[in-house]
Amino acid sequence: MAKDATGNGAQFDPMGSLRQMRDGYLDVWAKAMVETVNTEAYAKATGSMMDAYLAVSSPFRDAVEKAMLQALQQLSMPSRVDFIGLAERLTNVEMRLDDMDAKLDRIEGMFSKPATAARRPAAAPPTPANQERVRRGPRPSRRKRTK
Amino acid sequence: MADASVIDPIANMQRLTTLNKVLTSKAPIAQTPKQMVWALNKAKLYRYVPMVLPEQRHPTPLLLVFAVMNRPYIIDLRPGHSYVEYMLKKGYDVYLLDWGCPGPEDKNMNFGDYTLEYLPRAIRKLKAVSRVEEFSMLGWCIGAIIATSYAALRPDDGLRNLILLTAPLDFSDKETITFARWTAEPNFDVDKVLQTFGNMPAEFIDYGAKALKPVENYVGNFLRLWDNLDDPKVVEAWHAMNTWVTDNIPMAGATFRQLVVDLYRNDRLMKGEWVLRGERVDVGKIRANLLTVIAEGDHITPPCQSRAIMGRVSSKDKELFSIPGGHIGIMAGSGAAKVTWPHIEGWLGPRSG
Repeated sequence: MAKDATGNGAQFDPMGSLRQMRDGYLDVWAKAMVETVNTEAYAKATGSMMDAYLAVSSPFRDAVEKAMLQALQQLSMPSRVDFIGLAERLTNVEMRLDDMDAKLDRIEGMFSKPATAARRPAAAPPTPANQERVRRGPRPSRRKRTK
Repeated sequence: MADASVIDPIANMQRLTTLNKVLTSKAPIAQTPKQMVWALNKAKLYRYVPMVLPEQRHPTPLLLVFAVMNRPYIIDLRPGHSYVEYMLKKGYDVYLLDWGCPGPEDKNMNFGDYTLEYLPRAIRKLKAVSRVEEFSMLGWCIGAIIATSYAALRPDDGLRNLILLTAPLDFSDKETITFARWTAEPNFDVDKVLQTFGNMPAEFIDYGAKALKPVENYVGNFLRLWDNLDDPKVVEAWHAMNTWVTDNIPMAGATFRQLVVDLYRNDRLMKGEWVLRGERVDVGKIRANLLTVIAEGDHITPPCQSRAIMGRVSSKDKELFSIPGGHIGIMAGSGAAKVTWPHIEGWLGPRSG
């Protein structure tokens, strides 16, 4: 906020006042709208609008789809349905590949057990308990020494 | 400041240039380096490149599972303001499961597929890559429904810690949950919508989320940008968030139907009646350590939807953490790095050793 030359305080800022008014109005409007969208009447109204939209658009969409399908068939081109079928088959192939990957991982794990043990994840970060243990040093063995 | 810029044509031109750039371009997001380690159909599992030395890392990896109808990069929004980056710096081995964008061929995919087909396969790969048997999982929004169902159906699969963020699990309070009212039987014909579109269109989901707070989302949000066009930090944050908000994806038809019919209308999960692929989801079988995070100002998932789980699980170690903020704000807002992330890390750290 701009101050006057004598430093006697803030100048009148018309934009600031307008902004405050605007924010106050927005707060009130926002609260009113949140209450409105939470009503049964709003839910019914949006439901009706959706029904109307679907009723109008569905026949048009169906007609376009049929026309497109016929056109693609005439041109010996694959349709959307063909691509969907192909994508589903690809997903099935991917699943079988993933099954094989799992089996390979298992086999690899069986063969590389010693190596895996050596490459175990890093030890837990120091906590007060294990820091204490480190400071005290290793516990003495309880086994009796044999000569 | 503002009064000067009103009459200064150069300043105004700069503001308009900034405004144009922010509204017509995409911000650079999700920049934390990562590697894809698994993929199936549209789903991808990423492993983030560690930021600390191996001896400083927690041995239990963390898997992030986000909602199926939004892009997951909200948890790695921009450098310096990324949950993923924060956790990597704290020494976690972080994985992200990106469900991808369902196509028309995925319209029959349901929660059973996500929970019992895709997620277990991704977890198997995570275990193989990290060479571990135990892991932690963080589920957010719809991702929390999948994570909870998985934890209940596969309690012996190595899940050690379960973190649920703004989890819509309890649908019994129909008065408080606005979506429950909108999707109630006489108002909304879910079958007719899915018959027409196959999947639930992204635009409808986006409208649903924004219409809960229409003035904030359609007016207030843009006024906040206009008021702060001279502040590069605010503009950068707004740009990144707007990039995410406008990058919507559809929801697989069968999943959306289950969400509406099984959950919003019939509350089958909390009643113990939800069946996925012939298996009943009993949340009482969850034994993993549990942290539930609630956003007090959440309009999408009101707090009442996340509380009931605490009394139902068998976990001995459980905590409910309630934070002021909204559905996305608690993890991606300006206060996330000061409150939410440190709390989650503080809870998870001692349980990841």
